[in-house]
Amino acid sequence: MGACLAAAAALTARAQLPAEPLSAEQLASQPSPHWVWVNDINFFSMPDGQAFLVDGDSGRMLGMLSTGSSFNSVILPKSGDVIYSPESYFSRGTRGTRTDVVTLYDTKRLQPLGEVVIPPKRSSNMSMSAAAALTDDERFLVIYNFTPAQSVSIVDVRARKFVGEIDTAGCALVYPSGPRTFFSVCGDGAVLLVTLGEAGKLANRVRSPALFDAIKDPLTEKAVRVGDTWYFASFEGTVYPIHATPRGVELAAKWPLVTAAEQAQGWRTGGLQHLAMHRPSGRLFAIMHRGGPETHKEPGTDIWVYDLATRKRVQQISTQHKAGSIAVSQDDKPLLFTCFIESNVLDIYDAISGRYLRSVDSLGQTPTVMVTR
Amino acid sequence: MTRVDAILESLARDMARRVSRRGLLGSLGALLFGAATLPLLPVARGAPAGEPAGGTPADPGDPKTCEYWRHCAIDGFLCSCCGGSTHSCPPGTEPSAITWVGTCHNPGDGRDYIVSYNDCCGKASCGRCLCNRNENDKPLYMPFASNDYNWCAGSQVGIAYNCSTARIVGVAK
Repeated sequence: MGACLAAAAALTARAQLPAEPLSAEQLASQPSPHWVWVNDINFFSMPDGQAFLVDGDSGRMLGMLSTGSSFNSVILPKSGDVIYSPESYFSRGTRGTRTDVVTLYDTKRLQPLGEVVIPPKRSSNMSMSAAAALTDDERFLVIYNFTPAQSVSIVDVRARKFVGEIDTAGCALVYPSGPRTFFSVCGDGAVLLVTLGEAGKLANRVRSPALFDAIKDPLTEKAVRVGDTWYFASFEGTVYPIHATPRGVELAAKWPLVTAAEQAQGWRTGGLQHLAMHRPSGRLFAIMHRGGPETHKEPGTDIWVYDLATRKRVQQISTQHKAGSIAVSQDDKPLLFTCFIESNVLDIYDAISGRYLRSVDSLGQTPTVMVTR
Repeated sequence: MTRVDAILESLARDMARRVSRRGLLGSLGALLFGAATLPLLPVARGAPAGEPAGGTPADPGDPKTCEYWRHCAIDGFLCSCCGGSTHSCPPGTEPSAITWVGTCHNPGDGRDYIVSYNDCCGKASCGRCLCNRNENDKPLYMPFASNDYNWCAGSQVGIAYNCSTARIVGVAK
């Protein structure tokens, strides 16, 4: 009898869970190097861009941002507790007055801290990592404009003020090359090197000679950087290392991602974010597929890894799903992230061994480019 | 090198010269390319608005499919599936005045045509018949040959992108 009463009491106690206060989560003060932002242009509903934050170690979604029309990507400064996001809005959703802003978000609460209104000119394009970037001193945010006249908007992120617009006629996108310098790539194979003054105004603008043949074998816009060198890949699979400093730009020795035999078999690199760099080890990751010419946006199920010091392929990774975008964390136990705009699954691998670890499903609608710290 | 490639190269070099001398005139050159230069090319008249394209011996295939010959460099939702056609925008949307062009081979008559992929603007994504093909597609730094731009940027109604057309503007050779 006593045992029955005890069991009943236990059941009653179990039935009465405590009332719970409702709260909003806050993220850890120190972001993990294994956190990845997955940006989504939301191509099937472009006024409603999104960015998802995922912990690569657990596969847990940690939170998200709502980022407006024709969203490209969040920008993460190396230091600080803020996320920058260039965004566009219309007063009536898809019509009315257009307002472009750089929204500043709190990294712990994922709430807007403030915004800087910029000219309603930011380029609306398939997402590219180079659509906006911070100068190396992280003082100015440079945003590519296309109206279709080409220019950049400069935002002083310290003062939280729009500084001005700089004409980059004939040249597109933003690749930082020093504390106050960046370059844009031009349609004739040159690059335009822009230097900002102390207040962020144009101090100097120099156009290089042509560095590549934009007609015969164009470079994709999806370059990755280590130190002073930006690594571009051509449609045909040649690596163009562009050494870029405040003093100027110089093309270093080119080298092939594929052997002649592999090229003959149709091996190419391609995708929306088809290159990634693990800077501490100097390893370049490239999504590869077999497809021949005109397949520079095709996803692949192979990732080839190169040692920049020897320019040799050191590893081949087969992916679980088609990969159109890749990113690598920058710690000494790096993770490799892959996704593809036509699905909404994030796959996670050990970037050193290539071992598949886990997947995160139902992440947005059309994930584009990924960002890690 | 195809004729279109030659035109693009010449334009790029011309832009480069303009930029070094006259700054902003370079971007005006890019802007004027779609609006002013295209009509100077030998123009074959497309079907009048409202008349469907495709499905004839001279213009074979179904414009509602990605495989249709004119879609060789398109990236987006096919207006033919969205209430428009290869050369008309769905009701209530505005055609972008300027855009990118591709060169597509018509198996019906064996000719290569310059096809203009004007976007239709002012409403959110149509969401039907998504198609991405990249013949002669170039990166964003060659805007007039890149299908990765939202060409609604050049419209009066703003950047809300609805769908893409595929109209003939001329014979390439």
